[in-house]
Amino acid sequence: MKDKVRDFLESDLLEKYLLEHTTVEESNQVERYIAMYPEVRDTYRELEDNLETFARLYALKTPDGLKERIQQQIRNQHTGRRRFMRFAVAASIATLFFAASSFFFWNQNQNLQQENAMVTDQIRVLEADMKEQLEDVRNQFIVLNNPGTRKYVVNGNKKARELKAIAYVNPIKKLSYINVRNLPQLPEDQCYQMWAEVNGSMVNLGILKDIEDKDKLMALPYGEKALGYITIEPKGGNVAPSVQNIVANIKY
Amino acid sequence: MSTLLEKHIVDLLKESNDKAISLLYEHYGDTLYGVAFKVVRNADLAQDVVQESFIKIWNKSHTYDPAKAKLFTWLFRITRNTAIDKIRSLGNKSDKEIQMDVSDVYNLGVEGIRPELIDMRKQLDKIEPKYQIVLEALFFEGMTQQEASEELDIPLGTIKSRLKIGLRELKKIYGAASVVLICLSHWL
Repeated sequence: MKDKVRDFLESDLLEKYLLEHTTVEESNQVERYIAMYPEVRDTYRELEDNLETFARLYALKTPDGLKERIQQQIRNQHTGRRRFMRFAVAASIATLFFAASSFFFWNQNQNLQQENAMVTDQIRVLEADMKEQLEDVRNQFIVLNNPGTRKYVVNGNKKARELKAIAYVNPIKKLSYINVRNLPQLPEDQCYQMWAEVNGSMVNLGILKDIEDKDKLMALPYGEKALGYITIEPKGGNVAPSVQNIVANIKY
Repeated sequence: MSTLLEKHIVDLLKESNDKAISLLYEHYGDTLYGVAFKVVRNADLAQDVVQESFIKIWNKSHTYDPAKAKLFTWLFRITRNTAIDKIRSLGNKSDKEIQMDVSDVYNLGVEGIRPELIDMRKQLDKIEPKYQIVLEALFFEGMTQQEASEELDIPLGTIKSRLKIGLRELKKIYGAASVVLICLSHWL
């Protein structure tokens, strides 16, 4: 027998290990020796047998009903665990369902909020447009019905002889309108643009598109001794009027 | 107990088959109850300890490693530790009440003692008291060798040697006890 095995067996490490009085390091050492050396393993098994023998010397008859109580407690624990597992599965499914439905409703709510914001914006724009148009119609009505309104017939110069327009100016209400009745055809890359010179500054009144509604009145900014021009400009309009391309003057 | 039966019980435990508890109780119940009683010295408490120990055995069955200990060693440790914990949890006051309430003899009544257990106890008388005291202190009282030395006023070296010799003495009666155990298992 190796010296270190003999020394190990002569020490009380095995007895201490049996009694669970060893430190972690000592336990590791004992377990290593038990695994490596058959004589240590046999001695330890003998100690275990002796412990069992010793313990059996103190055996007492167990009281009646104890076994049934233990079995019942284990069964209850088992049932409790099964119930808990069932509950856990049900709770997990419910949680998943709740999470999915919450996400669905949240998503739907977000979409509805976006739609709502869009509709509100559209209503606001429509409201503003309607107000503007109503104001415009009201002003047109005032201009057309007021006895103080002066009517000017505008004819195109030699560059656009077929151009016909009627300007309505009311100095009391300070409102001016123009009704373009006819516009001669222009090449594709050109357009008519309307300007007004009011109090010394030139105001762009926008491009005259094809005259779809010949009764449509176009508002002109009012000014004392104001001048209106219609010019031929490149397609898309210009930032300043091309004086050489004036086709009509409107004094009002 | 045969190694085959031990293996069978371990297999049932690993499968969480409650037949394991029935077999464990039949083959180890009396011994573990005796161990619990020896530590707590009260029949009701000993029952509680055995019940708690079996629940622990059932719940911790996956931690049992046959390579590290025999099944009985594992069962003994769980029961002994549960009993020691029970005593400690009761505190000083109730501890004293138990000491006054019960003596160190078995108060179980004549009908509670099986003949084969009386035979086992006769075997115990074969061990000299000086060894019995040391073995009981170490195995049942949960004392370390140092604590046993101080408590019993015996030098540490003597405690160590009595533990070794005491266990050897057990080996002498092991054969006789084995015969009783075989009879017991046949009787069960």
